[in-house]
Amino acid sequence: MAHTLPSSDQSSDQDKWDSGGLECKGQLLIKIVMRNRLTALVVDGDTTCWVLEQELLHSYGVQTLGVDNSRDAVDLIASDAEFNLIIIEKILPVLNGLEVTRQICEIGVRCKMLEVTACSGESERQAFLAFGVDVFIEKPLDPEHLVPILRELDGQ
Amino acid sequence: MDLAALKTQLKNFVQSMFEEGVLDNQFSQIQALQDSTNPNFVEEVITLFCNDAERIINEINRNLGYQNVDFSNLDSYVHQLKGSSSSIGANRLKLACANLHQASDERNKEGCLQALQLITCEYCLLRRKFQALLHLERSIVELETNQK
Repeated sequence: MAHTLPSSDQSSDQDKWDSGGLECKGQLLIKIVMRNRLTALVVDGDTTCWVLEQELLHSYGVQTLGVDNSRDAVDLIASDAEFNLIIIEKILPVLNGLEVTRQICEIGVRCKMLEVTACSGESERQAFLAFGVDVFIEKPLDPEHLVPILRELDGQ
Repeated sequence: MDLAALKTQLKNFVQSMFEEGVLDNQFSQIQALQDSTNPNFVEEVITLFCNDAERIINEINRNLGYQNVDFSNLDSYVHQLKGSSSSIGANRLKLACANLHQASDERNKEGCLQALQLITCEYCLLRRKFQALLHLERSIVELETNQK
């Protein structure tokens, strides 16, 4: 029989602090100098991933917008919002990532599309690539994968 | 305990989490994203993650309680938990999710239940350690504030 979880304490501490025990920004992130201001759309139903991916992009100066479901993503693209990069998760509320990719490509979007997902097989990977995704990577989205893409988009 | 000793304790504690395999290098990336313009980032992410993880684990538990398990629904939850675990650097929890993913793929209910037990254990361990980590960080902040 599976165990049930005890309830956890909810943290509501909003005190500002600067912990000297943590690494400084720039020591672990791969450093690049961007010439252009890039924009990105992050489509992920998981809040943790959504926040982290946007913050990583933001740390490289990328202006980001995030949506947590496929319907909002398609509506945004259909309303002529333009992005240099779209990051999509495979499993999303409303429509799955593959269907979203297909609809976005049907609208005529021609930007870099990156599929970032937790687990997937080779057949799904090939399906995404066939539908127009440029790069398919397993989570987490990290600087090692992201920086070459940003450099390419920046014309470096 | 003085400030320097507290900072050392925090550093050693995080290091022990890496050495035990509880965290991997992805957590270092998250720490690197925190700075003076975003000073609470690590705590905010940990809080978000724990809230979502508990909700998902409870949903998985509920799904596996049904006589006829909806494995497709289960897959979605496992996928989400594995994704957030990977993204926060929760290494052992991510590996435990992989076990559940495999059992779910095989439509093996008993295997899923065993895998969920492991996930629950790993998550409880992680949460305890995160709570200790955040307690140390708050103590450091309090000391630094008092010293100003």
